[in-house]
Amino acid sequence: MLKKRVIPVLLISQDRMVKGKQFSDFRDTGRPNSAVRIYSSQDTDELVFLDIKANQSNDESHESLISVIRSAAEECFMPLAAGGGIDSLDKVRQLILAGADKVVINTAAVLNPDLISQTAKKFGSQCVVAGIDYRNGHDGARVWIKSGSVETHLDPVSHACKLVKLGAGEIFLNSIDRDGMMDGYDLDMADKITKAVSVPVIVCGGAGNFMHLAEAFTKADISAVACASLFHFGDNSPIRARSYLRNLNIPMRTLK
Amino acid sequence: MLEKIPVLKCCTKCNLPETYETIEFDTKGVCNICRSAEARDDNTDWGERKKLLDALIEKHRGKAAYDLIIPFSGGKDSTFQLLYLMREYKIKPLVVRFNHGFMRDTIAENNLRTFKKLGVDVIDFQPNWHVVKKLMLESFKRKTDFCWHCHTGIYSYPLRVALMYQVPLVFWGEAQADITGYYDHLNDEIEYEDDKKFNMIRTLGITAEDMHDMINTPEDPVDVRDLTPYTFPPVKDLMKMRYCSVPLGSFIPWDYKNNTEEIKRELGWRADQLEGVPDELNPHGEKIECFMQGTRDYIKYIKRGYSRVAQISAFDVRSGRLSTEDAVKLGAEFDGQKPPSLEIFLEYMGLTEEEFNTIVKPMAIPPYDHKFDAKGDAVKTWDFDKFYREDNRPK
Amino acid sequence: MIGIIDYGAGNISSVIHACGRVGEDAESFSDPSLAVGYDRLILPGVGSFRMAMEQLNDLGWPEAIRAHVKSCKPFLGICLGMQLLFDESEEDGPTPGLGFISGKVEILQTKAPHRIPHVGWNSLNSTQTHPIMEGVKDQIDFYFVHSYQCVPVSDENVLATCDHGGKFVASVAKGSVVGMQFHPEKSQPAGLRILQNFAEWNGKC
Repeated sequence: MLKKRVIPVLLISQDRMVKGKQFSDFRDTGRPNSAVRIYSSQDTDELVFLDIKANQSNDESHESLISVIRSAAEECFMPLAAGGGIDSLDKVRQLILAGADKVVINTAAVLNPDLISQTAKKFGSQCVVAGIDYRNGHDGARVWIKSGSVETHLDPVSHACKLVKLGAGEIFLNSIDRDGMMDGYDLDMADKITKAVSVPVIVCGGAGNFMHLAEAFTKADISAVACASLFHFGDNSPIRARSYLRNLNIPMRTLK
Repeated sequence: MLEKIPVLKCCTKCNLPETYETIEFDTKGVCNICRSAEARDDNTDWGERKKLLDALIEKHRGKAAYDLIIPFSGGKDSTFQLLYLMREYKIKPLVVRFNHGFMRDTIAENNLRTFKKLGVDVIDFQPNWHVVKKLMLESFKRKTDFCWHCHTGIYSYPLRVALMYQVPLVFWGEAQADITGYYDHLNDEIEYEDDKKFNMIRTLGITAEDMHDMINTPEDPVDVRDLTPYTFPPVKDLMKMRYCSVPLGSFIPWDYKNNTEEIKRELGWRADQLEGVPDELNPHGEKIECFMQGTRDYIKYIKRGYSRVAQISAFDVRSGRLSTEDAVKLGAEFDGQKPPSLEIFLEYMGLTEEEFNTIVKPMAIPPYDHKFDAKGDAVKTWDFDKFYREDNRPK
Repeated sequence: MIGIIDYGAGNISSVIHACGRVGEDAESFSDPSLAVGYDRLILPGVGSFRMAMEQLNDLGWPEAIRAHVKSCKPFLGICLGMQLLFDESEEDGPTPGLGFISGKVEILQTKAPHRIPHVGWNSLNSTQTHPIMEGVKDQIDFYFVHSYQCVPVSDENVLATCDHGGKFVASVAKGSVVGMQFHPEKSQPAGLRILQNFAEWNGKC
């Protein structure tokens, strides 16, 4: 039986890791290589690297993501996903060659949705994770792009459906409102998305303690929880999360 | 009759609660650490393990400046591991102590007696206190565990010394499998104190390089070399030396009560008072090395709803010396008192108690929800007034 | 020395590093004529069956691989690499594969609440013993990420199945050829154990 996953998210900003609240107020949280070493030693389920500076269309920034992936792939033998400013098949190819198993396409999925289908065709749907950042507003939830700086008119649910039709193999759903607040995930939206698509959904934004992870798995058909603040700013680790969730009968990976 | 902590699910055997790190319960409600202890007692071929130990010692005897390195704190476990190895094998060890700066008088006397009776070379390293305070505060704020310097220093510095002296064999004390679920006697055989274990457990998720970046500020710079004692030495160099860093507890069955009786008898080792733990519950001197232990245990209680008495009772239940029912009673009655050493910790850190509470409480592991002042204050230990004081709080 | 076939459709670096981690020398190579120099080969694969076969055919790989397999040298196909071992795949309309194992590659189907692609950690049910699975217990999870499944004609070729709302084949073997639908190079530590077994295997069962 397929297990649920706990996925640390590493936000990269010019060779450093950072963590913020609601996509701003970023605090330095160390070097990517250190995090890779730590998570690797804990046999973590998967890692997601997101380059938050990349959408400034800066090649240097893309280089830093590639080099982080490359050295991560040398050290750890677990699934790696990379995202941030991926707007061409060439960038996808470079990340795959560097060692990424999947790419997270966010802004380009709105500005150039064909990239989703092209990537799926060339590398397979399982390689394409459609990233959806959103905020709740007066008229309902709206998708935001470019690291949460530009609002679109799109609603997350129909956007998710469209991207899956184009070939996305997973959805990475990220609530900007909940990001870094450590107050729990937005399970209403998570539930809507999981009911609307048939691909695995990863929820991100808001995890502050292990109970939030448990709620995500029990209150919506989430395949994986993504967390950042939980591990940077708490006495928590993926190993402890696994034990905690297993005690609540949530199927977690068995290593031994 | 005292009830167990009401809202926490606990092991039906040792009574440790669901908030204990890495604990997992099976269908009978018994935890993985109890099951691992059963496997250790019933399934492990200790005869085989002893042969491996014999071979390991002989392989390294006389080959380097010392036969082996023994990391040492002076607590009951490290004192036993030193006594055992010297008595059993007549080895020439280099004893390495990473002194965290909170050593108590009884331990200091115990160590003096131990070293003189056994006749060993000892290196005692005490890191820069100014740096230690910064490390304590940073790790306390990020992880509500102020012992980062201790965990990383104790488990990397002796390996650094091993490299300096080119002594490949390093013997630690108890196996991690006796305490938590990171390793277990069911699946793992010999544990290795290697870089993987260091990164998995000791660093709390923060490497030394990252910690330097976090505490080094333009207003108050920290030399990168100040973090060297907390950095795992280069694995390439350790591998070149063919290092073998293992706990004695993977080769002989660890019975801490018998071990303590032996060191008391052979070395005159003395137990001591422990904040928050009645003397009669701790005759074997668990955790008496460090005068901040009471505060460590208090933080644990605020986050997880159990503390030192519950842990000591769990060991006693597993070794058949205490009933589960009594473990429940003892934990509920004694754990959770506020320790006198908290005042000292706050002074070092420049924090008020309210600030302390505000930092720790949100890091609680659900479903535990701590109520401050519910348990009263612990009594001072006899040597409280001897602990180093320094008041850094804003006036 | 382990040879990793570089035909432009695989995550080669992870496989090389994983082999290195278990103490085995491995290198990628893109010239089929050099295949004879390796005592064992690994075929990784990511992406479309059709594109992969086109690339393999264009570069002249099938003959080199056949020669290697004919001389009973160990050969491991990972993920798409395992699918390529079969007669054909229905992905993008029937596409012929390398034909080492009789059977087809079909789309993986399941029903709610299970989702496709099959992504994440899942366990194997071994159906027969094999040196490559030495020391690997049944309940251990491996990393899967795929949308298609292999359907061998004969159960004799099945080493292990996996469950995702229905059984599918997770590992196959025939002679000196083995295939893994999951990624051993991403499934530490058990996956590394499998790679070590592969490195030590003499190609016979």
